[in-house]
Amino acid sequence: MTAKTTFVAATLAGSIAAALGMVASAAAAPAAPQPNMDKCYGVSLAGQNDCAAGAGTTCAGTSKVNYDAKAWKYVAKGTCETIKTPKGMGHLKAM
Amino acid sequence: MTSLASFAGALTAPDRRPPPEFAGHAERRFAVYRNNVAVALIRALETRFPVLISLVGEEFFRAMAREFMLAHPPTSLLLTSFGDELPDFLASFTPAEDWPYLTDIARIEIARTRAYHAPDLVRLGADAFSALMSQGIEALRVRLHPAVAVIHSPHPVWTILAMTSGSQPAAAIDDWQPQAVLIDRPELDPLIRPLTLGTALFIEALGAGEPLGRAASTAASRATDFDLSAALAILIGGGLATSIHVFDGDLP
Repeated sequence: MTAKTTFVAATLAGSIAAALGMVASAAAAPAAPQPNMDKCYGVSLAGQNDCAAGAGTTCAGTSKVNYDAKAWKYVAKGTCETIKTPKGMGHLKAM
Repeated sequence: MTSLASFAGALTAPDRRPPPEFAGHAERRFAVYRNNVAVALIRALETRFPVLISLVGEEFFRAMAREFMLAHPPTSLLLTSFGDELPDFLASFTPAEDWPYLTDIARIEIARTRAYHAPDLVRLGADAFSALMSQGIEALRVRLHPAVAVIHSPHPVWTILAMTSGSQPAAAIDDWQPQAVLIDRPELDPLIRPLTLGTALFIEALGAGEPLGRAASTAASRATDFDLSAALAILIGGGLATSIHVFDGDLP
């Protein structure tokens, strides 16, 4: 790489002072804990609980017993198709 | 092997015979258990990787998830950690080779779920930094909040995230550039924000235990436009640190 840049204490102290100025002027104070809010586990990110055997999951899809089928054709239908790139990395392979 | 262990092992090993306790149409009856496990694990991955689903579509994702589940059955009792090996799996998964950025998107989604479950530690505010003496400041080290993670990618991952979330219209990315993101959970929900490469390298180096001076040198040597003040403003303003250490040696 380029010449090694070293940061002496004075530079760092100056940068911290500048950073503190930016923080204060942006009023981007660190998120204060919300005293009146409880952290409610499992609500905002549904399904990330430790047991997937709840209602509706136990026997879901039991009619499909082909899970060990190795051969599968893929047809991706996500937004990949719309995110095209100059390098051709974002397009979907037509199958 | 106990009968319970052989039962559990055969659930995610389709080439293994059902446990001998299964009478009658053993294969067919045991397949019901296998399928239940597969469906539950695939659902767990669907919950953890919604951006991947929107990128490749449900059909592809589920087929990929089945392959993953067979190759990497859960090793933890915690379903929340299932899928930790997905980035490495994707990197060598031939059907996904046209989308090399999926690996980094998966890393971001893993970091987001880890941030969600990270402990709530008190964060340092600006006052902790304004009280620092300049002497010896380059040797100071900070400990980052356990919810904090930095991912930098050779692909424009932030733009791709923004397009899949709908905050930017999906369109051709003409300027295919490396991008970095910060994952954190300042309050109840994880947040993802873009970082410059220099800031990402700086925060990553701090997280690896490097002192301030060396972390700044690392970032400056790899990112020519590294702005130390801006990086520190994100560190301080975002409340990313939980403690400052003055001694040498490993952080406790």
